[in-house]
Amino acid sequence: MKNFGRGLCYVVFISLIFFFAGCEKKKVEQVSEITPPQQQGAGITPSAPGPKDDITMPGAQAGGGQEAGAVNLTGAAKAFEDNDIHFDYDSFSIRPEDRRILAEKASYLNAKPNVKIRVEGHADERGTTEYNLALGERRANAAKEYLVFLGINAARISTVSFGEEKPLDPAQTEEAYALNRRGHFVILAQ
Amino acid sequence: MKKALTLILALILALPAALMAQGVHIDIEGKEFRRLKVAMPSFGGQRPLADTLWATCAKDLEISGAYTLIPPRAYLNPGPMSKVDPSTMKNWSLIGADYVIAARVDSQGGLVSLAVQVVEIATSRVLISTAYTARVETPHRAVHTFMDSLLGKSLSLDPMFSSKIVAVQKVGRRKQLFTAWCDGTGGGTIKGGGDLVLDPAWSPDGRKIAFVSYWRNNPDLYLLDMATLRVETLSALRGINTTPGFDRTGRKMALTLSRDGDPEIYVMTVGTRELLRLTTSWAIDTSPSFSPDGRRLAFCSSRTGNPQIYVMDIFSRSAQRITFQGTYNSEPVFSPRGDLIAFTYLSPEDGRYHVALIRPDGSGLKVLPGTGRGDESPTFSPDGRLVAFSGSDGNIYVTDLAGSFLTRVTGAGAFSQPSWSPVLQ
Repeated sequence: MKNFGRGLCYVVFISLIFFFAGCEKKKVEQVSEITPPQQQGAGITPSAPGPKDDITMPGAQAGGGQEAGAVNLTGAAKAFEDNDIHFDYDSFSIRPEDRRILAEKASYLNAKPNVKIRVEGHADERGTTEYNLALGERRANAAKEYLVFLGINAARISTVSFGEEKPLDPAQTEEAYALNRRGHFVILAQ
Repeated sequence: MKKALTLILALILALPAALMAQGVHIDIEGKEFRRLKVAMPSFGGQRPLADTLWATCAKDLEISGAYTLIPPRAYLNPGPMSKVDPSTMKNWSLIGADYVIAARVDSQGGLVSLAVQVVEIATSRVLISTAYTARVETPHRAVHTFMDSLLGKSLSLDPMFSSKIVAVQKVGRRKQLFTAWCDGTGGGTIKGGGDLVLDPAWSPDGRKIAFVSYWRNNPDLYLLDMATLRVETLSALRGINTTPGFDRTGRKMALTLSRDGDPEIYVMTVGTRELLRLTTSWAIDTSPSFSPDGRRLAFCSSRTGNPQIYVMDIFSRSAQRITFQGTYNSEPVFSPRGDLIAFTYLSPEDGRYHVALIRPDGSGLKVLPGTGRGDESPTFSPDGRLVAFSGSDGNIYVTDLAGSFLTRVTGAGAFSQPSWSPVLQ
């Protein structure tokens, strides 16, 4: 009976999750008002940045996402996240020297069959925003495909491209560019 | 014999008059075109609003690409001048003005009134004598309406000043949407939208903005209704959902999706979200832009090893590569007139990004001088005469198709990815 009560709780809870997930799709979100200019004149007067969450999309926080990286990781897990792979300019080919890094990631994932990960594809700032988003996507997918080739279940690996939006080093040097053209690995759930 | 000579002489004399009767010919692509010279003394009426609107008019004359403002220090009658005094005609003629603009600015009951007179110096003809009104919160609107009617009456050009530019604004680590009138007046941030917003694009009725946001930790496509400020999800499929571009009817949208593994170009029927995949190459295909007749798409593809511009016939799916210079050509946009494509061009000569123009058949490549320090993301004005783009210094600039002038329209801030709206009612 006790188990039944607990079971019922789960059923209700899960139903609620689906209920809210269903609402999320149909709901339209409210965006805050456009701020009028602060002063008149020929130039644009940018208004101050708004409070952090002017509009909150229902469900926006769901699904781990970037917050997952904030989990305190130790040892092997930390090494897993800390080791990026890198790419040549305008290329999404896995470099021979990065195969070892990917093999290490595959053996970690083999040892932890419940771990799900996300691969982030990044580009350096050269080139256009739109193309770099596509390039980052190809880089993330290339890394994912290599892990799948090494035997990891594709369902455990999600990808996201950030294009040129999240450089590790904002400097405009070849060294910074090389560092920023990367595939980054994030553990979502253990 | 004498009679014949007289006839010939009469013909020679009549010829220029006949040409003039056809009106001023403006070569919009233009090297030939001479900007019309305009004298505009300071406005009469309520201060400081009169000076503010004068400054907006002055900036708009510059951005128009069609007029040059004669510097006020050259005027014999510096103003303020609310109406054109017929006895001063000779003074304007002396400094070489084609037109003189006088105006009076008043505000009453929540409305601003800009009562303008425009007189053609050569003929003393009154071209415009109208009071333009706007709500006091958006006083520049009166200037934009006036400037649009000036473009029409003096040069038979289509309106364009009653339009906005949406861009991505970087504030701290966040990127948000920002809109302003195309001359930079009336700017404001659209708050919210998540921490990272990209790729804004206007709907052809000017009522909505499609954009990419990482709200759900993935680049997904949303549609913002500017009147209600409501947002709906357009596409949130696995992979990237980016680079929205409406067709002229607003019923179709071209976009980039990577749901099948690599970035490909699709057309979405906006009403039903139905998708049609158009590209099948293994390479990156992105940044689609509809031709005005909706039959073709310009897009960027790396199928030959590096990004180049292609034009595809949507019905046959056959795509022609149109750029052969340089190794990085991207972000093509069709001109509203359909005869040009603007794109971001990495110049092999100086190694910098420039805005370039090319005909859809690949001929006539023309690199616009721009800032010379790295220019990206061109977008055409609604009449197709002007191009706005973002400079590497974080400003939005406006230039014309000949590159004959360059005007910065943003103030302090870091802006990118401008998209120019249609003419707004």
